[in-house]
Amino acid sequence: MAFEIPKTTYSGKIKEIKLGKGDKAVIVGGESCYPFYLFEGDMPRLPRIAMEVYDSAPEEWPEAALEPFAGVTDDPAAWAKKCIDDYGAEMICLRLVSTDPNGLDRGADEATEVVKKVADAIDVPLIVWGTANHDKDVEVFRKISEVCHGKNLIIGPVEEGDHKQLGAAAIGYQHTVVSSSPIDINLAKQLNILLGTLGVPDELIVMDPTVSGIGYGIEYAYSVMERMRMAALTQQDDKLQFPIICNIASEVWKIKEAKASDDNDSKMGDDKKRGILFEAMSAMCLLLAGGDVLIMRHPESIKLVNEMIAELTAG
Amino acid sequence: MTKTAGKNKFKVHFNPDNVEIVVDQGENLLQAAIAAGVRIYASCGGAGTCGTCKVQIEKGDVETARTDKITDEEFSKGIRQACQTRVLSDLSVYIPVESRLEKAVLAQEQKRVSEIIATGWRFVPPLSKYFVELPPPTLDDNTSDLSRLLRGLRQRYHLSNLSIEFNVVQKLANTLRDGKWKATVTTLVTAAKPRAGDRRQPRVIDIEPGDTRDKHYSLAFDIGTTTVYGQLLDLNRGRVVAESMAYNGQISYGEDVITRIAYCQKPGGLKKLQQTIVATINGIIGELQARSKVDAGRISHIMAAGNTVMTQILLGLNPQHIRLTPYTPVANFFPAVPASSLGIEVGDHAYLFTFPAVASYVGGDIVSGIVGSGVHQRKALTFFMDIGTNGEIVIGNSDWMVTASCSAGPAFEGGGIKHGIIAAEGAIEDVKINRSDFEPEIGTIGNAKPKGICGSGLINTVAELLENGVIGQNGKYNRDLPTKRVRPGTDGYEYVLARASETQTGSDIVITEVDIDNLMRAKAAMYAGCQTLCKSVGSGGCDFEQVIIAGAFGSNIDIRRAITIGLLPEMPEDKFIFIGNGSLLGARLTSFSTDLLDDARRVAQMMTNLELSENVEFMNNYVAALFLPHTNAEEFPGVSKRLAGGSNNNQKERIKV
Repeated sequence: MAFEIPKTTYSGKIKEIKLGKGDKAVIVGGESCYPFYLFEGDMPRLPRIAMEVYDSAPEEWPEAALEPFAGVTDDPAAWAKKCIDDYGAEMICLRLVSTDPNGLDRGADEATEVVKKVADAIDVPLIVWGTANHDKDVEVFRKISEVCHGKNLIIGPVEEGDHKQLGAAAIGYQHTVVSSSPIDINLAKQLNILLGTLGVPDELIVMDPTVSGIGYGIEYAYSVMERMRMAALTQQDDKLQFPIICNIASEVWKIKEAKASDDNDSKMGDDKKRGILFEAMSAMCLLLAGGDVLIMRHPESIKLVNEMIAELTAG
Repeated sequence: MTKTAGKNKFKVHFNPDNVEIVVDQGENLLQAAIAAGVRIYASCGGAGTCGTCKVQIEKGDVETARTDKITDEEFSKGIRQACQTRVLSDLSVYIPVESRLEKAVLAQEQKRVSEIIATGWRFVPPLSKYFVELPPPTLDDNTSDLSRLLRGLRQRYHLSNLSIEFNVVQKLANTLRDGKWKATVTTLVTAAKPRAGDRRQPRVIDIEPGDTRDKHYSLAFDIGTTTVYGQLLDLNRGRVVAESMAYNGQISYGEDVITRIAYCQKPGGLKKLQQTIVATINGIIGELQARSKVDAGRISHIMAAGNTVMTQILLGLNPQHIRLTPYTPVANFFPAVPASSLGIEVGDHAYLFTFPAVASYVGGDIVSGIVGSGVHQRKALTFFMDIGTNGEIVIGNSDWMVTASCSAGPAFEGGGIKHGIIAAEGAIEDVKINRSDFEPEIGTIGNAKPKGICGSGLINTVAELLENGVIGQNGKYNRDLPTKRVRPGTDGYEYVLARASETQTGSDIVITEVDIDNLMRAKAAMYAGCQTLCKSVGSGGCDFEQVIIAGAFGSNIDIRRAITIGLLPEMPEDKFIFIGNGSLLGARLTSFSTDLLDDARRVAQMMTNLELSENVEFMNNYVAALFLPHTNAEEFPGVSKRLAGGSNNNQKERIKV
């Protein structure tokens, strides 16, 4: 008798979620097997990468990360356009770092203006990422949601502490929420249940398990994501059958191994390559764990990851 | 006494608590007692109408408003109503038994306790009395007194293989002659080792002149972290003569076992705690004696069940290694010790026997509960839970048992809850919340004015809040409801159960988000412990034939609501059985039957303990259970369906953008 490779039986499927609107809308999810287990099931939508844009000129980015965006980092709309036009970005993640109460503490009106400007300038899906300060995010997103009604933004992070207010804003103005929980499968599920109870329809939810880079606890994130997929696909846990978004860029580029210049320690190798590889490899790990959307920074690392995705999914 | 510009200060000394407090002249005596931590039972809340707070003024001057609750005789003895009395000088005040708060709790405990107890045991107490009439010695028969006694016991009762305590030999000659060669011998057997074929060797622990067989008493104790219960047993009739309880005096040194262990590490700490628990026990013995008129010197045996820490402290054994990994107790099976050597005020000949323990955090109280409820005798797969300061659970039947201790915390006993109190008069126990206006309807123990909320009241309240959409499944208040009952407070949002004007305390009684959090943690620990145990024995979902709930708290619990919040598994209500204080039940039954005493030793050995503190599976189950009723809705299909049908819609309409 011929040898037969044992196969996992899947009883569940990840929900397909449409992000953004119009021709450039992106659909993610839909998997009926573990990541890239194409011999066992389908992965009808490829993982997607959103490029990171800051609402104010970044202060702590290493040179290697700034270089590709020279000249546009103080203009978020131009920066976003450059990502799309020059680097082929399929999605943009606008980070509202300037609204941080511990930083520039810009107000809701100012933030809304920036978001509106970027949203008007691009046609790909726009993720808007707050500061995770609940009071501030509630204030800022309430305004943004209203003003950007019809833009189908993806707003996050939506955490337990502000899920009611942000969830309500999303329902009211048809935006997608990023249901964000601190590296715990149960807490992730609980938040999804709460959002459901609040009345947020499933098609407006993607989830963020909270991730970190290589060397900084990525194995925890990996394991939680893996378990989410196991629950979703083999245990029909419908509260975990949402696409996963991984905000990896800022996690990688803040670590000293990605930032240190090679003058400091020659054993660390070329600093430009090092940061790119840290980002690409961390991103790959998360894709293998079940990531559907990655938020990334450097065009080179994005290129590497896209190549890997193409190879892994080639017929 | 120095006069200051304001009022004079006076010392008030309370007995038998032996505590003192300094108060202003004219201070209300009931208030002074409460301030001093002396618990007086005042069911009317100080209105002067109930007459339960009677105290005796031993020394000093007071001013009192006399009501018809005090008879002339009482008045002449210095008995006054504390709430109607004001302090005019230094005082010495005695609090009589009937005025102590604890009685109310005891009365409560009797409520709604189902009878499920061990069966098939013979009534053969480990403690026995034998009356002998011996022929006086003559020149022809001048064998020793002891040989004469043993001969008599052998001839009359076929007793051989006896061992004799030296103190019996010491008083033998006089006792025999005082009683004119009629004497009563007390013997004691201890638990046989399982499967050891050796013959039991009863020890002769006492001899009394004459026939004293009708005075045959022993004590059963449950030594809890928070409360201590005692029963005086008549071993001739197999019944309880009197019972009493008191707060464990060690509470003043920390509410949970861990802080008590820490206290033992201080110089003199262990001795202090040992003396404190002995004082509590002696206090109870004093009360039992007062009620039953049985002389404590006649009490010949004490059977005590307590958790491992309480047991070790009582025996004066340092519990320090219980707290530290790998969590080792000094012993699981302690030999019987002379009670008087520990300072317990009973006959010098009396022995104290403590229940064998399983592990550091699964103690003799659980073994006692299992034996008392007969879990070890039946094939039925049973889930046994003891809900106390530390929740212990056991799964098993006559063939096997696994057990674990879930550090549930004191929430079920009202601890760590803003307005939490022990289940006594005035505790809010039942709550219904109106679906349309969110107004509560509360019921208190004894129908008194509310003064706090007890553990079962907390469960009922949280279940009601959840079912009516006042809180979400994460235990957080819905802040958009059209009611003033939900409001921001000092500990986050809170719900007002009773307004100041309706309470004994004169301030609002509220349930805060922190309280709900504490309850959720406690129930999550219990439920996750159960799940983890089930998984460990490999039965996919545990298909229990019965759930036995022990703990004084347990008998007041509302099953449906306990399921609603996810404390108890969702099962038909008739599968739940309450046994009240299981630890005390076991201590009593083993005092009646040597068979059960042997069983206790066997049960302690057959239980497999699962250490949850470092169990990854448990932590995962715990977080999943930190939700109302549970993160996995399929664990509670009925509740989930009810919630989806009710509060959801309620909430959806109220979304404000």
